[in-house]
Amino acid sequence: MTADLRRASLETGEVLVVERLGGGILELVARLPHIAATAQPGSFVQLRCGSGTTPLLRRPFSVAWTQGDTCGFVFEAVGAGTRLLADLKPGDPLDSLGPLGHGFSVVDTGPVVCVSGGLGCAPFPLLINELRRRGVEDILVLNGARTATRLYPAERFARPAVPVVAEATDDGTRGHHGAVTDLLAQALQSNPSALYACGPNPMLGAVMRTLLESGAELPPTLEASLEAPMGCGFGTCLGCALPMLGEDGTPVWRLCCTDGPVMPMREVDWEGLSALPGADVA
Amino acid sequence: MSEDAVAAVDLGRGLTLPNPVGLASGTAGYGFELEQLIDINRLGALYTKGTTVHPREGNPPPRVAETGGGMLNSIGLQNPGIDAVAATHAPRWKDWAIRVIVNIAGGSVEEYVHCVTVLEPVAEVAGIELNISCPNIAQGLDFGRDPVAAARLVAAVRAVTERCVIVKLSPNVTDIAAVARAVEDAGADAVSAVNTYIGKKIHRASGRSVLPLGTGGLSGPAIQPLALAAVAAVCDSVHIPVIGVGGIVDAASARDYLVVGARAVQVGTATFVNPETALQVLDGLRG
Repeated sequence: MTADLRRASLETGEVLVVERLGGGILELVARLPHIAATAQPGSFVQLRCGSGTTPLLRRPFSVAWTQGDTCGFVFEAVGAGTRLLADLKPGDPLDSLGPLGHGFSVVDTGPVVCVSGGLGCAPFPLLINELRRRGVEDILVLNGARTATRLYPAERFARPAVPVVAEATDDGTRGHHGAVTDLLAQALQSNPSALYACGPNPMLGAVMRTLLESGAELPPTLEASLEAPMGCGFGTCLGCALPMLGEDGTPVWRLCCTDGPVMPMREVDWEGLSALPGADVA
Repeated sequence: MSEDAVAAVDLGRGLTLPNPVGLASGTAGYGFELEQLIDINRLGALYTKGTTVHPREGNPPPRVAETGGGMLNSIGLQNPGIDAVAATHAPRWKDWAIRVIVNIAGGSVEEYVHCVTVLEPVAEVAGIELNISCPNIAQGLDFGRDPVAAARLVAAVRAVTERCVIVKLSPNVTDIAAVARAVEDAGADAVSAVNTYIGKKIHRASGRSVLPLGTGGLSGPAIQPLALAAVAAVCDSVHIPVIGVGGIVDAASARDYLVVGARAVQVGTATFVNPETALQVLDGLRG
């Protein structure tokens, strides 16, 4: 099936600020009227990093939030591309292609649980904003990170009102001392209509494992925003294959960029996903 | 350059491209994504994703890795198979002005011949590009590296179609001109050069190859001087039209290919970065 790219467009916007949130987490705010007007929860944008031929490829980023004609992207300077983005100054041009991808199935009734690991916070503010626009108020965010400084600030998950955020850190510097998945059992007691997750692959696998082992009924809407090394972002290079399960349960490849990045967690081949090597971000 | 540079290109056997700028195989799918992003009907040709007899799921990920000025890919010819292309995809090209040239890959002469035969009654297909140069599947290069085998393949395909047959050459050979001459003698109407260069990238934290099969095909601006030398050598060796491809990012880098004798060009990896690149190349050549 051909991806629906009718909303996607090239747009050169303007950087407003690159904010340092602490722990190496950055929030890039840019005036991008087309993206701001058309992004859906879970959408991503392909950003050009610099204007030369190295790094060559655009980098995909979830649209974290939109406000008026601006939008935000949350990231960390880990490679050549993101280092260039981190160095952007107010007024610099920002070359974008988007919005792209298949986003979240946004439910109309709660309760809703969002599980975020590290930079997996990125798609949630836009999602939470849309949930609240639809009248869903019972939203619980489980936010985990390695250490307190790397927790996306609770007040940024939604503005103006903040949803309930329960935090966990691997080193115990804030919130629960341990994995974010430790918080799941209690969250499931509310019988959520939807659970959305985003974070590193091992964390997402742990979320699914915890859900299955809990014995609780799985939320009807159960989705994760995934990532993969990406070439084009719009379905032509076929580079961003993810291991999924076909209708009969057999392994199939699906494209992160157009079939995803949001995938039904029931259809992810978690074993295959966990076997993938770590990202190459030299 | 001027209007001459973007004039129609006669590739033979009734295939005339409205202009020389095309979208390279493997970077434009079957056109249905880019159709939504750009006005593809302004371009001369779309060379489809490499298509095989049977559907292929492709290689395990990661399938792409970025390198200096380029990228490695190891897609593994993921495609829906020739029957689906003929029955489902081709009808959607019906009203397109861009000429759709189906790229065909295979592991044997019989597989190539079968694919070409399936396409014979399909009116929307403007021509055939024989991919004898995929570095990412077993036997992908068997024909591309051996002038005798390449000629045998072209002769077999020539026997079953009157359509324009373009042969896409591999740069991963000692003497690309020898392969070009062999396929010309065997009845090819044109050649396109080059496919990707075999390349490798090491994941420095682990010491292992980034791509699971060890190597992939290198494309992007990094290869333009290499590909240009190969295309110049081919242009000096054959009389049939040569289509230059490799690392084109703008009109200047495309013009280099025309200067060395290519009649048409294909834009590949640059489309991933900017889907409008091929249109910018066309406008730049005109201006």
